[in-house]
Amino acid sequence: MKSNNLKNISAKIADKLGAWLLIILIAAIMLFTSDKFLTTTNMINVFRQIAVVSIGAIGVSFVILGGGFDLSTGMIATFAGCNTALFMKNFGWNMYFAMIVAILIGIAIGTVNGLLITYLKIPPFICTLGMQYVINGLVFVTTKSVPITGLPEKFLKIGRGYIFGFFPVPVLIMFLFVIVGHIVLKYTVFGRSVVAIGENETAAKLSGLNLNLIKVAMYSLSGFCVSAAGIVLAARLSSGQPNSGADLSLQAIAAVYIGGTFKGSIVNTLAGALVWGFMNNALNLMNVNAYWQKVALGVVIIGAVLFDTFRAKLASKSID
Amino acid sequence: MEDILRLTKICKSFPGVKALSDVNLTIKKGEVHALVGENGAGKSTLMKTISGAYKKDEGSIWFDGRDVEVTSPKQSELMGISIIYQELNLIERISVAENVFIGRYPLKSGFVQWGKMYKDAQALFDEFDLKIDARRLVRSLTMAQKQMVEIIKAVSINAKVIIMDEPTSSLSTKETESLFKIINKLKSNGVAVVFISHRLDEIFTICDRVTVLRDGCYVGDRDISDITKNEMISMMIGRELTQQYPERSNAIGDVVLEVKNLTDGGKSVNDVSFAARKGEVLGFYGLVGAGRTETMRMIFGIDKKISGKVLLNGTEVTLKSPRDAIKHSIGFITENRRDEGLFLRSSIRVNTVMVALHKILKHGFISYKKEKEVSEEYVKKLRTVTPSINQKAMFLSGGNQQKVVLSKWLFSDSEIIIFDEPTRGIDVGARREIYQIINDLVGNGCTVVVVSSDLEEIIGISDRILVMHEGNIAGEVLKEDFSQNLITKYAVGEGA
Repeated sequence: MKSNNLKNISAKIADKLGAWLLIILIAAIMLFTSDKFLTTTNMINVFRQIAVVSIGAIGVSFVILGGGFDLSTGMIATFAGCNTALFMKNFGWNMYFAMIVAILIGIAIGTVNGLLITYLKIPPFICTLGMQYVINGLVFVTTKSVPITGLPEKFLKIGRGYIFGFFPVPVLIMFLFVIVGHIVLKYTVFGRSVVAIGENETAAKLSGLNLNLIKVAMYSLSGFCVSAAGIVLAARLSSGQPNSGADLSLQAIAAVYIGGTFKGSIVNTLAGALVWGFMNNALNLMNVNAYWQKVALGVVIIGAVLFDTFRAKLASKSID
Repeated sequence: MEDILRLTKICKSFPGVKALSDVNLTIKKGEVHALVGENGAGKSTLMKTISGAYKKDEGSIWFDGRDVEVTSPKQSELMGISIIYQELNLIERISVAENVFIGRYPLKSGFVQWGKMYKDAQALFDEFDLKIDARRLVRSLTMAQKQMVEIIKAVSINAKVIIMDEPTSSLSTKETESLFKIINKLKSNGVAVVFISHRLDEIFTICDRVTVLRDGCYVGDRDISDITKNEMISMMIGRELTQQYPERSNAIGDVVLEVKNLTDGGKSVNDVSFAARKGEVLGFYGLVGAGRTETMRMIFGIDKKISGKVLLNGTEVTLKSPRDAIKHSIGFITENRRDEGLFLRSSIRVNTVMVALHKILKHGFISYKKEKEVSEEYVKKLRTVTPSINQKAMFLSGGNQQKVVLSKWLFSDSEIIIFDEPTRGIDVGARREIYQIINDLVGNGCTVVVVSSDLEEIIGISDRILVMHEGNIAGEVLKEDFSQNLITKYAVGEGA
């Protein structure tokens, strides 16, 4: 009986901690491996690196929680970053106005995704895959495949600046998104509805939820978040880079799955992104060659989800 | 008759729960043995222990002349024990024959011998007098036919014991009769059938002996000829059943819901008109496929109607979606609560407030405090048995799940509540509680429409019964005229 209890308790802890357990694990290993790991500079560095992906992943979390999928986010982000740069550089628009218009375009693209998926019943995977190519093309059309540089100093602050002299602006924006995302998911009718639809669409419909509206809204929200991420990215790179965000779609999805956002919290998405960030960082500090780093990261994605299924099994057994 | 399967002092625990304690079960060759007990009595756990899906903690299993250890479902199947679950285990997209011989396709030099497979399968169906083409895709079969396929599959692997879990729960009266024919045939072939059912009538029709479980314990076994229905029920619930259908005496008021000429274009509903009154329980009886569920789904705005009107309190309303229906205070408890009613992976509290989220808002945001209060209130009111309101719906028994579904419609202030098969898969004790809740509802001025295929139930709880046959209302029976005979006549299309 005693060993059973111990098993139960450890199952519960594993269930509560989720991806944080992985972070603790990485940290524990690194504490003994590298003295550069647990330094303020390094920590801030990791957060800075994951900021862009995390901001986008907040939006993607809603889509995935709602039973959808969004492959087009990387390109929407790139488009928003390039558009902002274009508007400022070529049209001479005010920075805020440029950003707002770029974000509105991103929301519009997300909304089109949502409309196609709900009203024309195109599977989300295919629809957003197609949309990714459409937007990719548009990026090359508008930028002529040339990076847009020479952006105003004030704009670059969004990606490279610090407040209080040490706290990076993108990290601040990231926390803002996490907090707002958390509140929207936990405390609004919209958030509740998204989870309900993701869990059981029929029951959600029969409970009177407005399925189509909520589904479209979650793709719009995804468009909004990744556009913001794209703008931060452009500011960080000091330019609108037509090739910058290609990887973002999959990284954001990875963050959601590694974090186990299905357990109902947006904060898990942050944890997922952090696992990715720390992993990268640890491999760098250990001087692992960049190609092998990719292999390792891939293994982490699969491993994390495997770990999650295992954990869920353990947890449900202890309740059963 | 000699024994084929003997279970002795089987114990099985899950963390915190003793699911089975010292359970005995003896099955004789060629008998039909009923296994009864309320939900949560341990029937499923016992079956899963026999099939090897669960590992027993203690006790012994003796099968066909020797003690055995069952380690996996595959192994128990090879030994000769087949289980037919309520949710059938067939592959929809392949043929009947392939399903029968799945994993055992007849091979010749590594290639499947399709001709032989179809022929062998067809021979089995013919032997049992079943008109099912072995080449047909399983998905084109009716529920009853699929069940037959499962049985034939069991026969084809020479099962000596076939366990059927609630086999009649989705069958019409006629289909049930043909199932019983097959069971009798199995019996004459010396196959033992374990028959799990909540329908006591059927047990008295088809079974030879019965074993009763209660709260994970073995209560006893009897020959069917030596026991009355009431005795069996008291064995199951551990007390005398006072009265299955509680009395009510509320007044019936004006017409609240009126449906006129509802049609879905001749598919399953044809020109259905009826009216339901305040404080009334209106029953809908009919065979499976008579169009009762389809009628209700149209009223609730799930399926599109081709023509017809719905009037509430005399005014015509457009109900194009469940959302519209809910706005007009209609609630719908579907027959399939696991797929259509519940969010199984969510807690009781999340399920309770789902329809009326707006009622737990505070300054526009969800108040977890209100949510907790509300769900605790309904758990108490409906006497839902659960360790806490944070329990996930999937871990509740059928009766308690139904109460959770009910609480979401009660919390959303529904005035007209449609129950589709309200007690399907729910044990005797909890049934009475559901009936009591229905009484309370009409007592408080609600209108209740009940669709049920259980004749005894519909007679027991309705004030008035409409009988449907092939998409039409075949007859209306008033309380003073309630009789099983009359209602059945209407249901089979032989009404006056």
